[in-house]
Parts: sequence; structure tokens; C-alpha cells
Amino acid sequence: MDAQEATRTLEVIRTLMERTCQYQFLTARAGLAAGTLAACGALSFTFLDAADPRHFGVVWGLVFVGSLLATVLGTVLRVRERGERVWSRQTRAVVLALAPSIFAALVLTVFLFSLGLHLWLPGVWMLCYGQGALATSVYAPAPIRWLGIAVLGLSGPALLLGPDAAVWTMGLVFGLGHVWLGVTLLAAERRQQSALRLHRTVA
Amino acid sequence: MNAVKCLVEDPQAVLLHESRRLAIVSVLAAVPSLTFTELRDTLEMTDGNLSVHLQKLEEARVVAIDKQFVGRRPQTTCRLTPAGRDAFTRYLDHLEAIVRQGRTTPPRPGA
Repeated sequence: MDAQEATRTLEVIRTLMERTCQYQFLTARAGLAAGTLAACGALSFTFLDAADPRHFGVVWGLVFVGSLLATVLGTVLRVRERGERVWSRQTRAVVLALAPSIFAALVLTVFLFSLGLHLWLPGVWMLCYGQGALATSVYAPAPIRWLGIAVLGLSGPALLLGPDAAVWTMGLVFGLGHVWLGVTLLAAERRQQSALRLHRTVA
Repeated sequence: MNAVKCLVEDPQAVLLHESRRLAIVSVLAAVPSLTFTELRDTLEMTDGNLSVHLQKLEEARVVAIDKQFVGRRPQTTCRLTPAGRDAFTRYLDHLEAIVRQGRTTPPRPGA
């Protein structure tokens, strides 16, 4: 065995271990779709009024629903491709880890909308998103953890900048952030595929 | 000492050096335990092939296999033993030593 073969074997071991304990069904395409939707949502306010709660609510509601649908669709397709179960051990762990942050975001959204303070929501959503992403970091691929740390770190400045920066904060953080996530996951998927091909070749 | 020689002289490392057995141990090292079906599906191995390798790993006390009934169905659960985990860690150390040695050793002329 030479150094090159040892490196390849270590890569295969790492891939197999990650595949076993990580939630692998979040697809790069879902990340790219969520990022594009968030960027389009932010751009839509060039002709819509962000101060109007209905405009703000409808646009970001559609972005959220669209992103959720892209994630669910991507997950189901990935699961079928691999012949695994949707409600797997890893899926249950990820959903349980995300639940408190989603609940907090939902309660705060209703609360701030009812007070007419919806333009403060981007900072609040970033706080909840960052917490949720970090809560899943034990099971999720590393880029999720990095994005979680970045979003959590940026939530403070977003709240300091306040309502004036609400729209571009959303576009920048959730738009560009998810596009970056999608591109990074795409690269990771390609690396993993080549390592798994190697495992199947030698097995 | 030559890193490859160290690997060859470690009987448990030699046992793990077979690619399918190494795959089984790698997967079991990442989780507390897996059922036979989960292990088979993760590694895309046949029942017979997986059984043969699991038996060898059990004989070497690298893997522990528990058989129980869940409802009326028999279920086989596999997990890595503490000795198996040590053997796997040692095997990884051997591989890392080979990689390090490869970096420090200049290539032979004509190689």
C-alpha cells in the first residue's frame, strides 16, 4: 500500500462514516432554489412597498413556502434515488433539532406582525435560522454549520440597522447565503459521488 | 519503522484491510448500532456477503451481533465492540502513518 492508496482509503472511510451519521437529503438544488427565491423576493420590493405588511407578508410567505416545497421535493427525489425511507433516523433527529427554532420564529412573526413591527422580522428570522442551523450541525453537512454561524453573527448587525435595511438584509443573507450553500453542497455531492464510486469499485 | 510493515504485523489491521470488512467497520464506527438490514442497504451488499464478513468480524471480536425479536419479527443488530473500535482507530493510525511517510520520503528514481 502506498501513500496515494492510503489517502483514497481514508477518503472512502470518511465518506462512509459521514453518509451513515449525517442527514444527506438536503440537496444542492434546494439550496439554490431557496437562494434564488429569496433574491427574487428582495428584488420584488423595487416595485412593492415593504412597509405594507400585506406586501411584506405575501412576498416572504411565498419565498418560505417555495423554499420549503423545493426542500421537500428535493428530499423525496433524493430518497427515491437512494431507495431509502423519508422518515429515517437522521430525518427525525434533524426535525426535532429544528422544531424549537421554527416554533420561536412562528410565534415572533405573529407577534411582530400584530404590533405592526414586521420590518424588524429579518433580524429575528436570522436569529432563529442561525440557532436552527447550529442545532442540526451534529447531523448536518459542515456548510450548514458555517451558514448557521454566519447568519447568527449577522443577526446582531441586522437588528442594529433596523427596518431601513430589512429588504436588502433578507436578499443578501438568505439569498446569497443559500446560493453559497447550494454551490458548496453541489461540490460536496460531487466529491462524495466519486468516493462512493471508488468504494463500489473496490468492494 | 516502515508504516506498511506496522500495518502488516497488526493482525486486526490485516483483518480490516479487506475493503468490505473495512466498509462495515467504518459504518458501525459512526453510530451506536445498526440493524442487519440498515447495514446491508447502506453498503449495498448482499445478505450472504454481509453475513460472511460479519461472522469473521464477530469471531475476531471486532463486532458484536445481538439477535432479538421486535414484535414477532427477528431482528439482528450489529455494533462495534470496544476492542473493534480500538482496532479501527489503530488501522486509521496506520493509514495516516503511511500518508505521512509518503510525504516525507522522496520518490524513487524512475518511479
